[in-house]
Amino acid sequence: MIKIVKRDQPSRAIFFFTPVLAIFLTLVAGGLIFFILGFKPFEALKFFFIVPIADKYGFSELLLKATPLCLIAIGLSFCFKSNNWNIGAEGQLTFGAIVSGGVALLFYEQEGFYILPIVILAGAIGGMLYASIPAILKTYFNTNEILVSLMLVYVSKLILDYLVVGPWSNPEGFNFPETRQFSDSAKLPLLFEGLRIHAGIFLALAAVVISWFVFYKTYLGFQMKVSGFSLKTAKYAGYKGKKMIILVFLISGACAGLAGVGEITGPIGQLHREISPDYGFTAIIVAFLGRLHPVGIIFASLVVAITYLGAETAQIFMQIPKYTGQVFQGMILFFLLASDYLLFFKFKFIGSKK
Amino acid sequence: MNTNLKISNVTKIYPGCVANDNVSLEFNSGKIYALLGENGAGKSTLVKILSGVIIPDEGEIYLNKNNLKLNSPLDAKKNDIGMVFQHFNLFETLSVFENLIIDSDEQRESLREKIDSIMKKYNFSIDLDIPVLNLSAGQKQKVEIIRCLIRNPKVLIMDEPTSVLTEQETSELFLSLKKFSEEGILIIYITHKLKEVMQLCDEVAVMRRGKLVSVSEIKNENIESLANKMVGQNLKTIKKKKAKNSSDQLIKITNLNFTSEDPFETNLMDINFSVNRGECLGIAGISGNGQSELFQVLSGEIISDKNCIEFNNNYIGDLNPQERREYLMAFSPEDRLEQAAIPQMKIFENVALNNFKSSNFFNNGLINENKIKEHSKKIISDFNVNTDNIELKSQFLSGGNLQKLIIGRELITSPDLLICFNPTWGLDVGAINYIHETLIKINEQNKSIILISTDTDELLKLSDKISVIHKGKLSKIMNAEEVTSEKLGILMGGAN
Repeated sequence: MIKIVKRDQPSRAIFFFTPVLAIFLTLVAGGLIFFILGFKPFEALKFFFIVPIADKYGFSELLLKATPLCLIAIGLSFCFKSNNWNIGAEGQLTFGAIVSGGVALLFYEQEGFYILPIVILAGAIGGMLYASIPAILKTYFNTNEILVSLMLVYVSKLILDYLVVGPWSNPEGFNFPETRQFSDSAKLPLLFEGLRIHAGIFLALAAVVISWFVFYKTYLGFQMKVSGFSLKTAKYAGYKGKKMIILVFLISGACAGLAGVGEITGPIGQLHREISPDYGFTAIIVAFLGRLHPVGIIFASLVVAITYLGAETAQIFMQIPKYTGQVFQGMILFFLLASDYLLFFKFKFIGSKK
Repeated sequence: MNTNLKISNVTKIYPGCVANDNVSLEFNSGKIYALLGENGAGKSTLVKILSGVIIPDEGEIYLNKNNLKLNSPLDAKKNDIGMVFQHFNLFETLSVFENLIIDSDEQRESLREKIDSIMKKYNFSIDLDIPVLNLSAGQKQKVEIIRCLIRNPKVLIMDEPTSVLTEQETSELFLSLKKFSEEGILIIYITHKLKEVMQLCDEVAVMRRGKLVSVSEIKNENIESLANKMVGQNLKTIKKKKAKNSSDQLIKITNLNFTSEDPFETNLMDINFSVNRGECLGIAGISGNGQSELFQVLSGEIISDKNCIEFNNNYIGDLNPQERREYLMAFSPEDRLEQAAIPQMKIFENVALNNFKSSNFFNNGLINENKIKEHSKKIISDFNVNTDNIELKSQFLSGGNLQKLIIGRELITSPDLLICFNPTWGLDVGAINYIHETLIKINEQNKSIILISTDTDELLKLSDKISVIHKGKLSKIMNAEEVTSEKLGILMGGAN
């Protein structure tokens, strides 16, 4: 007989094991889905997970997709670890892209080393501004940040829509909903000739290191953690709890904004309607799959990035819609949440009793 | 009709702990039964088995000779067993009425009539249409009781019901319980408070470490005999020596006022008092009369005029708690789990919450983990916290151990003044004794205490001077020898 027993304490080993288990179960379930659709499961999974990254170009694409995911997830980990449920990173990404894109357009047809830093900074500030809305509403008006941050995503997308169709649309663009191409000085340098991977990856890596340091090693990080768990405790300890909440939102917004900058000044090079295939939402999965730990998030962002690439390959070679990618992302989160049950419970095998 | 409830050879084993070890008990209606035991004695497990929340590994339960299979709380409800838990299971944002009807499929109108008649019968006055969050703890408990009564229970189980109640609310509750009992409801009352057992119950069963130790009639027992059975050893009685009449003033509060924007908080009006070195000032009162606000003003969570608070010849009214700690003040708030500590964080992280400069917990903005851990180990051994693992999340500490940790954390700086608010709330006798001894020791070292408490016995035991807070105003300060609990009761009710 199998009995489910509550653990005395959550197990540390299981804590890092469940993400691996979740990925494994996702593969099994994914294979099953392919089988039902009439494909050979192993072959289909190969198209999905191996073929896309089998060559140099594919690997560069993997890093390209993983960069924004990692950057946003790092920012989100600040929020999530301190119990602030910012799920509007997609909006902060979009707004960061709008602000930095606007600045980049200002410097249209200009050259200069100073342009790119300004553009990047503008993106971070844009993301921060946008994240400050749910933060301030939460701290001073007791609104629910989940709702506010989520709804603001759609607001930002509509603002972007308006801008690229209206005032910022390319005068020579035959009314296509897009802006002018940014000048080369407003673009992130490519790392290798012929590959799309760009310098934005260094931003993500820097974010990983800085976030690890701040959260685990500094007094500031400690105060954020305490304030996130309980504002009452923060007040009692003498911390400025509300400011800490706003701060984690700002950090998270800045990261999302930077991810937006990376996209528009990297592979895209202009503003148009679809600057992000929901990186801001997918990064939530990345953050949890990576256990909100900086190193975990690096691995998680790579795993989840494959689902983007795999979906494209599958569409081309197997004629399945690329939304399969989202199915896989959903399954990862689903299995992760399900296997988290093992954190608190264990199976115990006991012989039948006479 | 008589109700007979029988527990037969019930055993429940958790990993590393036998919560109930072959417990057999029998109850008959018409009497009020006490189930007495320290925290962790197994009484909560036993009543959870009776209410279907936990399924026992072995043993049977019989209600009027019928063998009950209680696999869920619903089964217990179906079998007319009602239970009021220590922690309320109410939806704060729903109205009282919505909370009452939530698990019922009867018609709203007929239920409303039924509820009205129950409230009339037992003299409960609660507005059914306001959200539960606006109710006092006593009222919330009444809502829970009504929720049971709607189902005409044969058995009503109350799990530590007075831990959140004021004395007044407690006596109201006792009246109601006696009435229920007269009407034939079998009442099982779980507690670790001996006085209540003596006051209310007819028979008492004592549990210790999962085992049933004794079953006896109240008239054959007294507080000491029950305490010894419960703890399993003879408790030493602690007595405070009278403080030397020092005239060395440590803290002085002058014309302190606090007006809250929150309608559910109490305004403080014209607070004046002073405390000398080596003295304990007790502040009595029914909960909700401004104690929480007074604590926050004293700790610096609420900032007041600089000149209102003079501490050790410094004016500190405008400083936050962290800054006040530098002047050697320490604070132990009422709410252990939501304010004084963070259950999800490790023990040593909770120790770091009391961050004073000389601790060097944080240097140049960086965490000095070794220092914090070293410090935590010292607190754990100095204050008898029952664990040796400072990496343990503090949610795994019992209430008593957590409170020892908190008091230890506050006292390790050897502060001149400790301000504590209901320091023994919800603790078992052993832990209460320990905390009381510690507080007396502080006074003996010529340090001072402001003890805000709703427990009058505690105040009379520990204080040198006592004042009563009522609706945000302090009564005059009296010498403890002149005060009796009756006198305090009258002042707490608002009379002069």
